[in-house]
Amino acid sequence: MAYHSFLLEPISCHAWNKDRTQIALCPNNHEVHIYRKDGAKWSKVHELKEHNGQVTGIDWAPESNRLVTCGTDRNAYVWTLKGNVWKPTLVILRINRAARCVKWSPRENKFAVGSGSRLISICYFEQENDWWVCKHIKKPIRSTVLSLDWHPNNVLLAAGSCDFKCRIFSAYIKEVEERPSPTPWGSKMPFGELMFESSSSCGWVHSVSFSASGSRVAWVSHDSTLCLADAGKKMAVASLCTETLPLLAVTFITESSLVAAGHDCCPMLFTYEESQGALAFGGKLDVPKQSSQRGLTARERFQNLDKKASSDTANATLDTLHKNSISQISVLTGGKDKCSQFCTTGMDGGMSIWDVKVRNPRGPLRLG
Amino acid sequence: DRRRTGEALRAFHTAIRSSPGNTRSQAMKEQAQGTMLKVLTSFKSSEIEQAVNSLDRNGVDLLMKYIYKGFEKPTENSSAILLQWHEKALAVGGLGSIIRVLTARKTV
Repeated sequence: MAYHSFLLEPISCHAWNKDRTQIALCPNNHEVHIYRKDGAKWSKVHELKEHNGQVTGIDWAPESNRLVTCGTDRNAYVWTLKGNVWKPTLVILRINRAARCVKWSPRENKFAVGSGSRLISICYFEQENDWWVCKHIKKPIRSTVLSLDWHPNNVLLAAGSCDFKCRIFSAYIKEVEERPSPTPWGSKMPFGELMFESSSSCGWVHSVSFSASGSRVAWVSHDSTLCLADAGKKMAVASLCTETLPLLAVTFITESSLVAAGHDCCPMLFTYEESQGALAFGGKLDVPKQSSQRGLTARERFQNLDKKASSDTANATLDTLHKNSISQISVLTGGKDKCSQFCTTGMDGGMSIWDVKVRNPRGPLRLG
Repeated sequence: DRRRTGEALRAFHTAIRSSPGNTRSQAMKEQAQGTMLKVLTSFKSSEIEQAVNSLDRNGVDLLMKYIYKGFEKPTENSSAILLQWHEKALAVGGLGSIIRVLTARKTV
């Protein structure tokens, strides 16, 4: 576990380069700052200034080393490194509300942008015009799209929205790829086709994640639930009502386990039991140091009783590593099927790297 | 006395089970609220924890909805006993159960 405090303000979003030596993040303003690891320190090496509004999403394509950013200024930029300078290319998204999230597709020939315009812009490069163009997925989205995740086949896209639904769409672009082969989510995948739509949540869907194989999709929503749809079980949905505050970010770390984090400021483990089709809470991963137990005077006890209706001193300060809500999780090493390290960033301006250790290869997952 | 406790527990489970899930009828909802409030206030403080522990996750969420509904329309002594129910339900359901009261689209 390693924690680095980058800022005193929230980190709006972050993305890592391929070899995890550099991190691009938005320091709660209109810019993107890129930091490079220098031994134990982090040094700022680039400042990308082009957006006219807060940068809400960053994604770093590992193979082509291009960045894509999107912001509340309703724009997206694709950045390419020329020498030692990042050069932006504007992408017209044709939206009239803020862009909220952006993701490169696995083959990096498209990217998707979710926005407050209640649609998803699928952008691809048109060779003949030397220009990025986009197509829209609109129906049946009824509110802001908060998060996106691509299926490994480069065609299917999961989207979490403020209309309480997690959906899977086809984002097939015939100009850049061949027709996809059938998947457990369906065989016909024309552009914009709705392959799956959830019905169980009662809260904004903050984050969605496909498993590494793509046959499962999980999402967290503002009603403090975690849900998982399993295409291998005819898209049956398992849901778990958690005892925690709402989770804001989720990712698979193996085909049957997930890490999620949110307003409780610490990552938590969840497991999916396929045979029972059930999700279970696997524990908080941030084990707080034992706070010193000191005695309370009678006066303090009475004050606590008056203020908080309880007389114990626990929870007076935050014992977790992050001192504010965690807003994003990214897998660092091992991929979503054998994740051995993941990263969290939060509203406390901090970034933390967590190690996943499998104690017993056949036993349950443990984290440290 | 144990029989009285047993009856209170049975009335509690009946009220939980027969909660009108999907109704739009305000009258039905108010009747269910009234019944639930009567059941909750009939409990002795020492019996509350056992009653809460006998519920499953959905039951705890439903109880929490009724507790907050009871807070909305306080009667003479209702808030005191409801606060005790709240403390026990919170211990089992966590903050998540309160979040789900706030985000629920179907109210009780």
